[in-house]
Amino acid sequence: MRWIAATAAALALLAQGVQANETFRFTAIPDEDQSRLIERFSKVADYLEAQLDVEVEYVPVKSYGAAVTAFRNDQVQLAWFGGLSGVQARRLVPDSRALAQGKEDAEFKSYFIAHRSTGLEATDELPSDIRDLSFTFGSKTSTSGRLMPEHFLRQRFDEPPEAIFSRVGFSGDHSRTIALVESGTYELGAVNYAVWEAAVEDDRVDTDKVEVIWSTPSYPDYQWTLRGDADERFGEGFGNRVRDALLAMDDPELLQSFPRSAFIPADNAMYAPIEQVAESLGLLR
Amino acid sequence: MTVTPPARPLWFTGDALGPRLARHTLTLVALALLLLPLADLSIVTRDPWAELARMAQGLAWPAWGAVESPFHALGLTISVALWGTLAGVVLGFPLALLFHRSRLIRSGCAFLRAIHELFWALLFLQVFGLSALTALAALAIPYAGIFAKVYAEILEQTPRAPVDALPPGGSRLVRFVYTELPLAWPRLVAYTRYRFECGLRASVLLGFVGLPTLGFQLETAFREGRYHEAGALLWLFYLLIASLPWWSHRRLLPVLAIGGAFLLGPWPSVDGALLWRFVSQDIWPRPLLEWDWPGLASWLTRIPDLAPAIGNTLLLGLLGTVGSLLVALAMWPLASRHFGNRVSRLAGSGLLVLLRSTPELMLAFIFLLLLGPSMLPAWLALALHNGALIAFLIARHADSLTPGMPNLPVSGRLAYELLPRLYPSLLALLYYRAEVILRETAILGMLGVATLGYYIDENFQYLMFDIAFFLLLVTAALNIAVDALSRRFRPKEAPLDVPGMD
Repeated sequence: MRWIAATAAALALLAQGVQANETFRFTAIPDEDQSRLIERFSKVADYLEAQLDVEVEYVPVKSYGAAVTAFRNDQVQLAWFGGLSGVQARRLVPDSRALAQGKEDAEFKSYFIAHRSTGLEATDELPSDIRDLSFTFGSKTSTSGRLMPEHFLRQRFDEPPEAIFSRVGFSGDHSRTIALVESGTYELGAVNYAVWEAAVEDDRVDTDKVEVIWSTPSYPDYQWTLRGDADERFGEGFGNRVRDALLAMDDPELLQSFPRSAFIPADNAMYAPIEQVAESLGLLR
Repeated sequence: MTVTPPARPLWFTGDALGPRLARHTLTLVALALLLLPLADLSIVTRDPWAELARMAQGLAWPAWGAVESPFHALGLTISVALWGTLAGVVLGFPLALLFHRSRLIRSGCAFLRAIHELFWALLFLQVFGLSALTALAALAIPYAGIFAKVYAEILEQTPRAPVDALPPGGSRLVRFVYTELPLAWPRLVAYTRYRFECGLRASVLLGFVGLPTLGFQLETAFREGRYHEAGALLWLFYLLIASLPWWSHRRLLPVLAIGGAFLLGPWPSVDGALLWRFVSQDIWPRPLLEWDWPGLASWLTRIPDLAPAIGNTLLLGLLGTVGSLLVALAMWPLASRHFGNRVSRLAGSGLLVLLRSTPELMLAFIFLLLLGPSMLPAWLALALHNGALIAFLIARHADSLTPGMPNLPVSGRLAYELLPRLYPSLLALLYYRAEVILRETAILGMLGVATLGYYIDENFQYLMFDIAFFLLLVTAALNIAVDALSRRFRPKEAPLDVPGMD
């Protein structure tokens, strides 16, 4: 009998030990420059660890789909999502909430870029001359590379992209969209404005061959989302502490990994427009 | 009045193996030509050269320092391939023994084979997360289906004489262990080795969905245009494949396997609830689970248009197969000891390593830049990759042959000696590969060629697992049908003579 009691006590202790030492895991996919991900985000993990007083680990993932799955399956508790993936994730995990967004994400936008052979010039309204050209989106679930550009195209032409363009492709990535339009493989493309501007700044794109012809109206994009059960598992008020730690992040080296200039508060309601658009395009149900 | 019988060429009527294989090949080529107008092969070239030059520079000046923990990635790639293949053998061998007796097992194995490793990985990812278990299962399960089929055919071809010579009464097991297994053993081992090389390639590919093998960094670097880093990773992989004969010595393999076991990880804590939710809910249409018939009808409207998707898949599969045949025929002499000199052979072998080790997705992207979006880049990528693979196997087979007429000029040696002896195995290999090609059409969907795989990938991204799963079932059914057809029409004389099996 004593033996059983001792075992139970030991197990209880062990369980408590496990709970106290539970690792807080997060994931993030930057929209550009994913080189040396582990190295860079391990520094972010160190920062959060110091602020939150729990063990923090970065889990590298490859795609938004994988990030949402990891979040849903509780393999990560916090994630830096794109607009659409964040909405997907919050729908799948009850009570999860958007904590913070990048300063740039409150007014994010996409650029439409065109190969010079189209002869298109930058205009304030999306020109009707783009009809029957070839067009490429970025990744299928990218907010800035697919969702919002498709939304504005439908708004302008009242037709699905396949009816507007001679050919519609999905390059899979913003950098690829730029490469494919620069080489003229596709005549037009839609790209995340931050990625485009970084590429122009670093001289990675030949602006004699490809130029911005239109900028979409602004919409909310990337955000940090936390699982609903975080407080329960890491202690009362943990979610707010995570948010405060994110908002207080001011080391340029850490911020550069995202890349954002600062984080500002965000909440679920801000992303309602994204949710509506995704529903109307059949990307959510 | 004399009636001259119509002079029909021998290849048209002959009943010997040669003419029949020739007819067979020509039918295949004719079918491909006939269907060619249905394929979208438009060419658009504007300014591909700047991007291609950047790629070439990346390959010429690889940035070794930019690769994050290359040895871990390399070790994990080998380890996943080795353990995945081993697990495939363990699962596949018993199935091979029952293969010819049960249609159910044959169809089951065709089902396992029909789904691309990447899609298996995407399925397991939902349950086991980014873990070693996902990687191993994604390799082991389709490989079990492949081993079952190939082992069964190897065993079927072992001579019957020793079995017949045994006195009656011995158990089935005894007969198998003493008469069939020893005869088949060298070929079983040779095939397993070959599959291990395929496993290495697949292990790299698993990085594309997020498992931390070589492919993880390779895909991102290539996608984001960091070609110097991608170049370093590609070279690492080329060297790995080219040096395979040296480091995969049978005495070294156990050491590698045990050492590699420590690299495998992380191991997931399998969550029963997650697993159950996935198999009982996620992959089934919700209206079906709720017996909601009108709901099911509206669910069906969400399914992409299947007819063009199946058409594109089959067309690309056929074109890829015929293209591979032509590429293999043109390329095998480059790496064979019967032709050229040391330098040309080294260059030829190098080229074959390059073509068969570069993931098709990358080849396809290069052609996409060069030729514009259509089915053509996908076709070329499939033909070059698989053609180079067959060429490599055939060249090794050719090296084991001794020409009986050493004084023939080179062209005569090719046309009259070697090719007739090699062609049956070449065709047999092509038939095996055709199945792989059909599977691979799936992952080239990113070119905008709306194959079944294009929609499967799309629905995985939208997290609509029920539709993805439904399409996977359609793909598998298609593969089983093609498999049955090729079983029926494949020339039986074309032996499975995978090189190194002698």
